Amino acid sequence: MRRNWNDEVEFVDVVIRQAHPRPGVPTYHSFEQKMHDAESYKREDNIAWTVLVDDLPGMTHQVYGGLADPTYIIDQEGRVAFYSMWTHAPMLHTSLEMLRAQGWRGVVGGGVDKTPHVAAAITDGWKGLRRGLPQSLIDIETAAPTTGISTWLGFQLRPLTAPLTLRAKPLPASAKISLGVGAAALLFLGAKALTRDRSGYGSDRRRTKVRPRKVR
Amino acid sequence: MQNTNVALRFVDLENKMSLDEYNFEHFRTKHLLSDAKATVEERGIKPGEMAPDFELPRVGGGSLRLSELRGKPVILHFGSFS
Repeated sequence: MRRNWNDEVEFVDVVIRQAHPRPGVPTYHSFEQKMHDAESYKREDNIAWTVLVDDLPGMTHQVYGGLADPTYIIDQEGRVAFYSMWTHAPMLHTSLEMLRAQGWRGVVGGGVDKTPHVAAAITDGWKGLRRGLPQSLIDIETAAPTTGISTWLGFQLRPLTAPLTLRAKPLPASAKISLGVGAAALLFLGAKALTRDRSGYGSDRRRTKVRPRKVR
Repeated sequence: MQNTNVALRFVDLENKMSLDEYNFEHFRTKHLLSDAKATVEERGIKPGEMAPDFELPRVGGGSLRLSELRGKPVILHFGSFS
């Protein structure tokens, strides 16, 4: 996303509390621990833009809503133009395009997107969770069973799913139509297979059919 | 009119968490539910409102004040290392 907007938009990341505390550093007890993790975050994730570190009580994070992964678009006058409560790059891309068309001022796209974009979290969430193993996995499975395993699976399937789930721009209309047609075809084939199995006919009947003998 | 400074806004913030509540030791269902509630309530800065100003230390040294970036649109993301 930054590649698309680097010349026109300033990118700022704020490191917040540990979402999934880990052995060794169960949670932050000092600002130094937080700064150390922020440095690792910038280095390991190759973040080329500004990374700031919130204070220990998370004052800035809490004032800005306290959610786990939000993004704000702030217009050139310093006002909130769009609030993506569960960061979604394609939605932010569209909002930035609208903001540019408005001369980088004002509210765009209704102002707020509250949708939890689960597919992106499942594809990319393991990156954070694996930093806190094994405690992070135990904790998340206790809090919301299957979530941790789903995230691990999502990460393994990342090469296949990332072009869809972690895209920086919205899908073109043609791709949406193709996906819709593909999904409908899969549903149709699935329904057909189920119906065939339940009827008691079909392949079994064909296999047991008695063929007439040839008369010599 | 809302304060345009994070420190002042924090003083009057509803649903404010204490230091220990904020820096929890274990992720639990209540944290998930709290996020869901915050989403439904649209907790945070409302569109059209001035983004409350703050100054925070920057990785690599120095610090940055949000208002220094005025004149250019900003993508402001909050995220965790873990």
